[in-house]
Amino acid sequence: MATSSSSSGTNSASRNGLAGTTLRIDLSTGAIRRMPTDQDLYRRWHGGRGITSKILYDEVPRDADPLGPQNLLIMNAGIMTGCLIPAGAKVEFGGISPLTNGVGDSNMGGHLGPALKHAGYDMVIFEGIAPKPVFLYIDNDTVELRDASAYWGVGSLDSEKRFKHELGEDFEIATIGPAGEHGVAFSCITHDFGRQAGRTGQGAVMGSKKLKAIAVRGNRSIRVHDVDALKQQVVGIVKRTQTHPNMEPWQKYGTAFFIKWSNDNGVMPTYNFQTTHFEHVDGIDGDKLVEKCLITHKACFGCWMNCGKYTRAVVPGKAPVHLEGPEYETGSLCGSNLGMRDIHDVAYVNWMLDNAGMDSMSGGGVLAFAMECFQRGLITEAELEGHTLKWGSVDDAEHFIDMMVHRRGIGDWFAGGTRRAAERIGRGSEKFAMQVKGQEMSGYDGRWAPGMLLSYMTADIGAHHNRSWTITVDMAEGRERVEGRAKIVVYLQHIRPLFDTWCICRLFWGELDITPEEIVESLNHITGWGIDLREALRTSEMIWNLNRCHYLERNRGNGRSFDYPPARSWEDKIPSGPGQGKGLSLEQIEQMLDEYYDARGWDRKGNPSRALLEDLGLGEVADNLARLGLLGEPLPGGIPETRGEKYKPKAF
Amino acid sequence: MLITLRAGGLLREKLKPDLDAYSRRVEAEAGRTLAEILTAIGLDPSLVAFAVKDGKMQRLSYVPSDGDVITLQPPVSGG
Repeated sequence: MATSSSSSGTNSASRNGLAGTTLRIDLSTGAIRRMPTDQDLYRRWHGGRGITSKILYDEVPRDADPLGPQNLLIMNAGIMTGCLIPAGAKVEFGGISPLTNGVGDSNMGGHLGPALKHAGYDMVIFEGIAPKPVFLYIDNDTVELRDASAYWGVGSLDSEKRFKHELGEDFEIATIGPAGEHGVAFSCITHDFGRQAGRTGQGAVMGSKKLKAIAVRGNRSIRVHDVDALKQQVVGIVKRTQTHPNMEPWQKYGTAFFIKWSNDNGVMPTYNFQTTHFEHVDGIDGDKLVEKCLITHKACFGCWMNCGKYTRAVVPGKAPVHLEGPEYETGSLCGSNLGMRDIHDVAYVNWMLDNAGMDSMSGGGVLAFAMECFQRGLITEAELEGHTLKWGSVDDAEHFIDMMVHRRGIGDWFAGGTRRAAERIGRGSEKFAMQVKGQEMSGYDGRWAPGMLLSYMTADIGAHHNRSWTITVDMAEGRERVEGRAKIVVYLQHIRPLFDTWCICRLFWGELDITPEEIVESLNHITGWGIDLREALRTSEMIWNLNRCHYLERNRGNGRSFDYPPARSWEDKIPSGPGQGKGLSLEQIEQMLDEYYDARGWDRKGNPSRALLEDLGLGEVADNLARLGLLGEPLPGGIPETRGEKYKPKAF
Repeated sequence: MLITLRAGGLLREKLKPDLDAYSRRVEAEAGRTLAEILTAIGLDPSLVAFAVKDGKMQRLSYVPSDGDVITLQPPVSGG
């Protein structure tokens, strides 16, 4: 058992929201190092996904296997996490993604991030591979690697329960499931019985390191720059949001209620994005979740919105299960996209993926892709070990999840995600492998929402809605028009990831009208940095471009070649529902890419230029791209002074 | 008849509140659905995910009564 303890007893003396200590853990040797948190690094990269991106760029060799010892797993509580502000609850996990082979980051709410800060640590960097399964135990000053052999093979949710039973209810636990242990590329990290760092396969990175879990307990305070000003501001926000019209609906219904709206507006992924309208939507909408499954509402640390829904799913012939969700994304991707007609069935699939430790968004996407392959005769019952894989069948989904988790037969192909499975299956299946850069699409079909499709195409971590979500912009500006959408996507790609950089929930901005300027004000009360929103957005742009360059360096190609969606996006018109007959042409997709690169100051090959990178303080990155022949050409008119354009009226 | 509509988030600016930061008093013809009333005041009903009245969810086919206070919920991205 490796142990490190310190008698310092207090958090950082600095009054800037940081706990003061970074842990670096070599799992190969068991060595645990404590280092003072690099204040300059935080000032420049703001924590969260910013610091994660910077460390991965600097330290991971470009040819390192995402599931090998040279990759890092970084757990990073943001600078605002645990500091009294609304929903300052997030913790970011990052490493090179086995799904995309680029920078991967994903965050989760709950209570783990605040616990880490309150124990005295801002960040934990894991390197190497443990010789046997271990878990990280943190109890304020005590930091140990402990044997986790008894937990290996146990489901994510089941493991969390057992860890809490063994260590105490007041420990906050993050776990992986068997999928992460077996390197399933879309594995997630789970906490609080249903909060997941779901995207980009960080659970597989954790599993490759034989790290089963992280258990944290902390009870210290965090020093901030101006606690009185922070308190005054937060009290004002609490009072204001108590009477906000969106508070009560959110507390009651969460995001699941957008299922029907999405269906009514022709963006609902249905039968693996074959169409955008599900005829059985009434059985899986949010009102059914509340009516039939809801046990209680859940909130993260520092939040009074309670958008999480703790539920019970009952499927005939199976033991009842408990889970958090399904929220909108899982509700659509494991609901209509799999042809599930009953909310209990959707919730049960959600639970199976959660307990296996798979991202329920990618998991839904991969299952849907496999079901369409079966529908088209591209995979057979013999390859499915005598089973079928029919739309709407929970039993079929259960069996195929087991094949993927244990990498049996063709389950091994699909365990690499839809892109890799399509490469193995061939015969035209690439056309309907609904992913970009290897990551499965979120729960919106972009054929009648061009800005949304562009958001998927250009997201730094592969197709993911949280980088930019434009459905309502598309509706307001014309759903068959592509002109002008790119600048809005660029702006959203800067402002939305700021929340992942600061590790706070974006719903207070989107839903409760807390302005980004107010959040920057909170940041300044915490850190004393004295920055404005413009500087914050510039930091976000710097992070975005660093990730782009990192992706090009690892995958050795011009950016444009990686930015196309699957051919269904332009070859197939929507066949039914309100969007019937709608769709985009390849020419429109090319036009959006041209406009996007122009708006970013990249060349038309999709590569950042030296002038842009130097403007962002990334001159050394430009040198690295130049050595690989991937540096963008100088732009005829120079780089745009302002990249991205705020959409008015409000959009998020 | 008079009803009060309330909205926040991206719907707030479109509602053009006049009673307070989030609320607008609207005179509507009895028997009209909520979707028809929204269209009449220039608010695209497709931008409303659902409505809430007296703590209960209502769809846009709901027919309001005089004095109703109805909260409009905008769509947002999932978690």
